[in-house]
Amino acid sequence: MSKSLMGKYLFVLMLALFLVLAACGGDDEGAEDPSDDGSEGTEETEEQKEEEEEEAVDPEDQIYDIDDFSTAVSNDGDPIDGGSLNYGLVSDTVFEGTLNFNFYGGTPDFEILQWIDEALLSMDENYTYTQDGAATFEADQENNSITFTIRDDVQWHDGEELTAEDWVFSYEVIADPEYTGVRYGTAGFTLIEGIEQYREGETDSIPGIEIHDEKSFTINYERLTPSLLTGGVWTYALPKHIFGDIPVAEMEESDAVRQEPIGIGPFMVDSIVPGESVSLVKNENYWRGEPNLDEVTVRVINPSVVVQELETGGVDLVSSFPVDQYPENSQMENVEFLGQIDMAYTYIGFKLGDWDEEASKVNYMPDEMKMGDVELRRAMWYAVDNDTVGERFYNGLRWAGTTLIAPSHPDYHDDSIEVPTFEPEEAERILDEAGYEDVTGDGFRETPDGEELVINFASMSGGDVAEPIANYYVQSWQNVGLNVQLLDGRLHEFNSFYDRVGNGGNDDPDVDIYMGAWSVGSDVDPSGLYGSNAMFNFPRYESEENDRLLEEGISEEAFDVEYRQEVYSEWQEFMVEEIPVFPTLYRSELRPANLRVTNYNIEQGSGVYLHELGVTQEEPVVAE
Amino acid sequence: MSNKQTEQELEHKVDEVEVEKSPSGLTIFWKEILKDKLAFISLMFLVLTSLGVFGISLILDQEEIIRVDLFALHEPPSIEFWLGTDYGGRDIFGQLIIGTRNSLAIGFLVTLLSGFIGIVFGVVSGYFGGHVDNVMMRILDFFMVLPNIMIIIVFVTIVPSYNVWSFSLVMTAFLWMGIARLIRSRALQEKELDYVQASRTLGSSHMKIIFTQVLPNITSLIVVTMTLNLAANIGIESGLSFLGFGFPESTPSLGTLLSYATNPTTLEHRWWIWVPAAVLILILMLAVRNVGEALKRAADARQRRA
Repeated sequence: MSKSLMGKYLFVLMLALFLVLAACGGDDEGAEDPSDDGSEGTEETEEQKEEEEEEAVDPEDQIYDIDDFSTAVSNDGDPIDGGSLNYGLVSDTVFEGTLNFNFYGGTPDFEILQWIDEALLSMDENYTYTQDGAATFEADQENNSITFTIRDDVQWHDGEELTAEDWVFSYEVIADPEYTGVRYGTAGFTLIEGIEQYREGETDSIPGIEIHDEKSFTINYERLTPSLLTGGVWTYALPKHIFGDIPVAEMEESDAVRQEPIGIGPFMVDSIVPGESVSLVKNENYWRGEPNLDEVTVRVINPSVVVQELETGGVDLVSSFPVDQYPENSQMENVEFLGQIDMAYTYIGFKLGDWDEEASKVNYMPDEMKMGDVELRRAMWYAVDNDTVGERFYNGLRWAGTTLIAPSHPDYHDDSIEVPTFEPEEAERILDEAGYEDVTGDGFRETPDGEELVINFASMSGGDVAEPIANYYVQSWQNVGLNVQLLDGRLHEFNSFYDRVGNGGNDDPDVDIYMGAWSVGSDVDPSGLYGSNAMFNFPRYESEENDRLLEEGISEEAFDVEYRQEVYSEWQEFMVEEIPVFPTLYRSELRPANLRVTNYNIEQGSGVYLHELGVTQEEPVVAE
Repeated sequence: MSNKQTEQELEHKVDEVEVEKSPSGLTIFWKEILKDKLAFISLMFLVLTSLGVFGISLILDQEEIIRVDLFALHEPPSIEFWLGTDYGGRDIFGQLIIGTRNSLAIGFLVTLLSGFIGIVFGVVSGYFGGHVDNVMMRILDFFMVLPNIMIIIVFVTIVPSYNVWSFSLVMTAFLWMGIARLIRSRALQEKELDYVQASRTLGSSHMKIIFTQVLPNITSLIVVTMTLNLAANIGIESGLSFLGFGFPESTPSLGTLLSYATNPTTLEHRWWIWVPAAVLILILMLAVRNVGEALKRAADARQRRA
């Protein structure tokens, strides 16, 4: 008995040992690959250079710069005829299958929709409408109206001509009180003349919209704002010959949305496996020209298998790639990594008030809040080293933020503005001057009134390095003598985090500061996040100057881009002075592409369209 | 002469009687463990590990260990960091020591607390029987049908801040039922025995009979069950921490170290973060189980080896 028992133990130990060895083996491989990689234009800090003398650069220590990434694939070969391509829709869950721009809700559905339908107006790199799309427009500032004209050769997938009526029909459906989607509510609808009459059922059509002929119509607005021309106008038509007979409330559930979606895009739906994949075939009558690819398959893949799918050529393109997996996979042989600055930033916010439910606006009360003193906030900005956080945790693929308009809006991001950087001595000096001194001798500063100052920091869990980053910030503030504690001593789950921070209007008074992130829209106007009426204004900050600048940014004068730039520069600078929040990290977005893919550019307004997308060989390139 | 011999014989006989006195429960346990090499080694390992981690963690600075160091992320094992560092640049060896201490402390605490509640509940219920037993067992049934892991998770999420004590109490609240049932069934048998009847006839109070007469007679069962429970409780704590419902990462435990392995890169390339914790859990569990099995045999005369 004893002997056989020993045998069992030996077996278990061997198993354990085997695991250890396997893990070691894997590690060596990982370290070898990039040994001779110095040519990618990577920047390395002094410290790393010292390390380098001893051993080859570990992929984890490599620092990358998003500017070194191209947005277009380098493969410039001629696409073969009749190729087919696999597109990986990276998602934890199945896609919903609401396949119409007028009704969809989630990003996964959008990833499918972009192949089969398209906006009638194109956008340039600043997300401003251009005249290159399926329709053109003319804004008449005197009469506050915009006239749209659709090109002659634009057809629906079923061969019907796209008419002005189809486009207007989408307005009528979305503005209908029975409409089930989430599109109504933006300035593009609410500013239309007489839209309220239509919603109340007084008129059958929207009074502010005049149809001139088959292909053109005019929308009269109460006033024009620059936001209208940077994403405000609704640019997705709805085929009236199909949806005309369906009651508005039932449209979202109809077959024309779920099973036989239709659009004007370069590809048509061939078959749908609900929640899993969609097969597309080319639309030969696409108005820009016949697509190069015969077939495209859009398939849901789980984020944890993205790397394997790419390596084996299972997918040629993916909808997103987790940045933290990049360093280990930067040398993947069969894939080219494209990258650009993401339209998002991470920030630290200071609670300066709460939400006034009745007035539906923020209740700014700096004198009553712990973080009310701007000097304290400034010192906290000086105390943290965002550059190092970006380098060490994200290998430079996230980097220190400066202003509240991210560089993803190159026209409006003002990088000449001086912002606090990591200077703990400066932070201590500011705190000393502002009267935050340690009078009790416990190692932490008290308020100028001599009261104990404990700052509760709320941060989100999820994301791989959320925890060490949150603790790093806490440490940095403790280093300059501020007693910052994690709220409840731990991180909070996404939904409960935003509930406590104020999503819903019930701000938790225990939260003093928090770390959140915003994904920003195509329109640069930040009033949805920082306006005094915005629920998303979580710091609950309000000032006349802020309101004035935000208002001016969307005024009629702001149609002049230079004027708008000035206004937003001023606003960015003002926010750096006031610091209701400060950006910590800007982010980048990575999109790997199989080496056989050609004519692919991820940049907004690049002028490379999906019908040009092609492959240069029959089979995907596979990693050795 | 003959007298003397008789005296000697008598002495000799007295000696013999003394020698034949039935050995105490603890002696039997000890003998059984000495006899079973594996159990002995396991016990030594357990004692040394416990003493080691509690001792070393006294001199370790926990603040320093959980300090995020941006310039030492994912360091492989070296002289400075014996077992490397994790993704926050924190020393794995220190975390392993403190984590083992926390996991063991919770394991012991939960076992003792749940054992205490379970034993008292079970022995009282079994001893009195009848309606008392009926009512108490229905209460127990109620606790048994609750999905206890789910409830522990909910509790842990609601309790604003928790430490070793509050975490142990929450776990205890849902882990005492098994042992209570076991003790109750044994107490049911025990109370029918003559010595209980005799004691009762002599006028001893119920309290006295339960705690000074019945309880000592079922000690062996208690020791065995609690030892085996210890392994289970350490496992439950590690499991909860692994799922993210145990301690926050700033309070290391074996489970949190193990949960780093959910990241594919860590699993594949950074073995030093999770392998030591995994191996330690494995060995700890086996050791506790070995000791428990030996005790179990000792408690049952038919299975004894010694």
